[in-house]
Amino acid sequence: MTDTMTKPVESLSEYVDRARAWLAALEPRFGAEARKGLSVEQDLALAREYQTLKSEAGYACITLPREIGGGGGTELHKILFTQEESKYDYPTVYFGVSLGMPVPMMLRYADQETIQRLIPPSIRGELIWAQLFSEPAAGSDLAALRTRAVRDGDGWRIDGQKLWTSWAQFADYAIGVFRTDPTVAKHAGLTFFWLDMKSPGITVKEVRKLAGKTSEINEVFFDNVYVPDSQRMGEVGAGFRVAIETLMIERYSVTDENMGGPSLYDVAKFAANARINGRPALDDGQVRHALADALVERQGLRSIHRRALNAMAAGEEPGPEGSIRKLRLARRRQIIAELSLDLLGAQGIALDPEVSRAQDAAWSWIEIPGGRIAGGTDEILRNTIAEKVLGLPQDYRPDKKVPFNQIG
Amino acid sequence: MDNDVRTMLLDQATRLLEAEVDQSRLKTLLEAPGSFDRALWEKAVELGWPAIAIPELGGGLGLDLESLTPLLQELGQRTVSLPLVSGYVTAMALLDNGVAADVVAALASGEAIAALAFGEAGDCGLMPAAKFANGKITGAKAPAAFAAVADHALVTALDGDTPGLYLVALGGAGVERDVLEVIDNARAAAGLRLAGAPATPVVTGWAAVLRTAGIAATLTAFEQVGGSERCLKISVEYAKERKVFGQPIGAFQAIKHKLADMYQEVEIGRGCAIDALESLVAGQSDFLSLACTARLGAGASYDFCARECIQTHGGIGVTWEAEPQHHYRRARSLALELGGAPFWRDLLVDGQRVLETV
Ligand SMILES: Cc1cc2nc3c(=O)[nH]c(=O)nc-3n(C[C@H](O)[C@H](O)[C@H](O)COP(=O)(O)OP(=O)(O)OC[C@H]3O[C@@H](n4cnc5c(N)ncnc54)[C@H](O)[C@@H]3O)c2cc1C
Repeated sequence: MTDTMTKPVESLSEYVDRARAWLAALEPRFGAEARKGLSVEQDLALAREYQTLKSEAGYACITLPREIGGGGGTELHKILFTQEESKYDYPTVYFGVSLGMPVPMMLRYADQETIQRLIPPSIRGELIWAQLFSEPAAGSDLAALRTRAVRDGDGWRIDGQKLWTSWAQFADYAIGVFRTDPTVAKHAGLTFFWLDMKSPGITVKEVRKLAGKTSEINEVFFDNVYVPDSQRMGEVGAGFRVAIETLMIERYSVTDENMGGPSLYDVAKFAANARINGRPALDDGQVRHALADALVERQGLRSIHRRALNAMAAGEEPGPEGSIRKLRLARRRQIIAELSLDLLGAQGIALDPEVSRAQDAAWSWIEIPGGRIAGGTDEILRNTIAEKVLGLPQDYRPDKKVPFNQIG
Repeated sequence: MDNDVRTMLLDQATRLLEAEVDQSRLKTLLEAPGSFDRALWEKAVELGWPAIAIPELGGGLGLDLESLTPLLQELGQRTVSLPLVSGYVTAMALLDNGVAADVVAALASGEAIAALAFGEAGDCGLMPAAKFANGKITGAKAPAAFAAVADHALVTALDGDTPGLYLVALGGAGVERDVLEVIDNARAAAGLRLAGAPATPVVTGWAAVLRTAGIAATLTAFEQVGGSERCLKISVEYAKERKVFGQPIGAFQAIKHKLADMYQEVEIGRGCAIDALESLVAGQSDFLSLACTARLGAGASYDFCARECIQTHGGIGVTWEAEPQHHYRRARSLALELGGAPFWRDLLVDGQRVLETV
């Protein structure tokens, strides 16, 4: 096991060189070619192997301590590694939610015994966590959720339904928020728990997505599911606050700057070979304009990111401008993918099932609508900027103070 | 007189489509590459749709194009895909140039299906690289709608340096179809590999190619307008019905403005389509410019409406079961099949043409 992270001094450029070499060596095993034609189950098995190697090499959960399988590094290391890793098409997607929100939340709320038992295998990819927030009638309006948790001895009984739960079909554990008191206002009656997804009474049903052979989204049904009170995270009735704390991690987490789509470098390379009526596309004003716009935005976002890191390194709170990142990146990926397809012309309708969204404009385009919805819709993110950053008055919320069971 | 016929045709169409086409049928078509709703096409043929706008001397009904376009709009609304535009455009190109009268008759009767194979890999426009020589074409064509099931294709190729249109029998020698997975499998698309495929010259010259493409673009614009209208309609309905934060989402200005923007796009697209059609019918000299505006206006409108229709629906919008996905796919497919927007923009503002238009 290489544990160079604990070496006294390694410059950032040495770190990047080492990460590059490490990543490059794994391409035959985990790269796009190796993943071609795999079933989801096979791909997931491969993903677990890769994740275990990452954990051993200190590249999994880079900011978490080495003792639990993290990298013992800084946010900056994490960004640099993620940047290098996103140049490959390695199987990381199954752990995006799991390691993104549930694991950090468990570290904040769970007891030491639980952390020691569940977190290292989660970081190695052996265990997967899901996030049980949204429901059919509660997406943007999370506090409208209905799934009930009712006291039963030293625990709780859960009944109801969650929806859109990413990777629930493979999940071993989950964090989630449930209604424990319907007689108080909607935000006040919620409580947060972690639970075993293999508990009796839980049924997971995959929801087919608009495109693609795998779907990460699921319905999760709860029928009298028992959860011990020891698995409560935060006070009874404080669930909404804990949920928001989770979403803050989600909204400010390091999203790769291509949002999973082709990099701008690849797009420019593609445009350099594309032609419009016999002329090179890169000589064309509309193409130059579109690429320039994307580069300007990328620069701005990179700067925001770097300054946030510096602030964090200095122990300061980063500015609120980080909140624009996901909003801009998701829509940009859609614009860029559309442009690439336009430049392919009639050939652009081909949707090769064997390539991934990271390599292909058509896949990037067909899969991005979910990116503008998951983790806060474009509209909600704008509201948040307007209300939380700019201090504008909140929207009219007629049901905010009404006891939940009296909302019509 | 024509008005009665139009109303009757549209009524018939609405009734047939209402009875035959539902979401599950449309979804089945998306499952496999090269899908074609043969049963529906046979019913459309019985009703005489392929013949509507083809002149009587070509074996058609000889009605005006304004009898065909409402039907195209209706198909567009329902994301139903039938080879009416490709059939009409091919038949007219043949008829206008006095070529292959038998094929015209077969297209009018619906016995034969045509595909427009104009695009090629490597350029988003329509200038071909495929070569015509000694009565044969060699080259590769990008996936074209209906090519998986068509009997004939109208193909662009170069004779020396001169582009032109050629008729190729797809069941014949030297033709291989690549039926591949595409964004919208319900378009019965296939790429064509032509290796010395026998071809009948139809017309030569870039202007003639562009005019034919312009006619196809103008008619397709009506399908696009139909699709955009439908996206707007279901988005408005959903915005009234879906309650979030104690109110219908349509009460939020972000959604209101989005829908109002969709409405503007629909009307711009419709306006462009109507004017291009009028110019075509009246034989005006500004037709190509107006065909470009129809192509770009209706295409951008449908892309926008389909994309924001998903967004308005939230999570439901990205599921297989919901309707918006059909439009998201169809909008993009229609926007690409006849060449990408950069090409048509270029054409619209090219040198003299922009000055004439402005
Ligand atoms: C791919 C994917 C993965 C997901 N994974 C998970 C997961 O793992 N766990 C989980 O809990 N959830 C998950 N979600 C759910 C996601 O968080 C919700 O879909 C999202 O919050 C939107 O909720 P909704 O779908 O109910 O849409 P709605 O909230 O019904 O929104 C419908 C439309 O109304 C708009 N709208 C709503 N409120 C306002 C307002 N106040 N002002 C203006 N416009 C408004 C929205 O922007 C949207 O356009 C996932 C979703 C997707 C698409």
